[in-house]
Amino acid sequence: MESNWATEHLQVIRTLMERSAVYRRALAPVMIYNGALGTAAAIIGLAAKIDSPRSFIAYWGCVAAVAIAGSFFLVRRQALKESEPFWSPPTRRVTRAMLPPLVAGTIIGAVGFIYVGSAPPDLANVLGMLLLPVVWIILYGCAFHAAGFFMPRGMRLFGWAFVLGGCAVFALGIPDRITRGQYAHGLMGCFFGLLHLAYGVYLYFTEKRRNET
Amino acid sequence: MNPEPFLQLDRVIHEKGRLAIMSMLAASPELSFIEMRDALNMTDGNLTTHIRTLQESGYISISKSYQNNRPHTTCSLTPSGKKAFTGYINLLEQIIQQNKPKQ
Repeated sequence: MESNWATEHLQVIRTLMERSAVYRRALAPVMIYNGALGTAAAIIGLAAKIDSPRSFIAYWGCVAAVAIAGSFFLVRRQALKESEPFWSPPTRRVTRAMLPPLVAGTIIGAVGFIYVGSAPPDLANVLGMLLLPVVWIILYGCAFHAAGFFMPRGMRLFGWAFVLGGCAVFALGIPDRITRGQYAHGLMGCFFGLLHLAYGVYLYFTEKRRNET
Repeated sequence: MNPEPFLQLDRVIHEKGRLAIMSMLAASPELSFIEMRDALNMTDGNLTTHIRTLQESGYISISKSYQNNRPHTTCSLTPSGKKAFTGYINLLEQIIQQNKPKQ
């Protein structure tokens, strides 16, 4: 029937338009890189006993800077390999979508870094090592959820995992048996390390399978 | 059924490969030759032929440059390409509407 044919045509057009607007570059390598970096950073943070709020914020701020620089390097490398522009329209869209929550996280981190220096120790510990990691996790999830509208659908679920995970951690509070350093680095390692690693490995195998078919 | 909308369908866009190219370009300000080739699973020759046809019809514009000493070709829809594509979609919707069972 003509209408079935026309409906199918419109469906194909819609799928192609969606596919065209979706960002796919180097997702698995970026996720695995960030996961490995986050896990290693958490282990180093625990081993080096980075336990004061200020050093914790400064330490993870540096880790974030290395993560962002490395991610851009990986994306750029793939763009060069495929003779494509690095700053392509999909890259621009994803960056713009992620920017507000990431900027908010950076500013909150910077203000926290300044504030905990003069705050009473108990308050500084609560703010710097308990609340701040949760805020970072939730904002990071918001960033990925926003970017997920221009990326494969799984990215939005990945963002939700951070948002809901961060809220759950906040609701559950700190277990009695662990120190604040173990808690804070453990939290960062689980979310920014292991969660990324798991998703990166999943993407690696699913993208490979999709390319083979 | 009124055959009018079907007969009005733009033959240049109606071809499967060219429709795919137009659809992708309609959703993105510009796309590189490689991005389109990979997304549509077309050969270089096939894609080049379709792009040339669309360019000759004035539906897409092509810009060629060099990146890292390698040729880099990007395509984008021209205003008349956008208009033709919108018209094509409208006609498809019209065909669907005409064939809806009347209640």
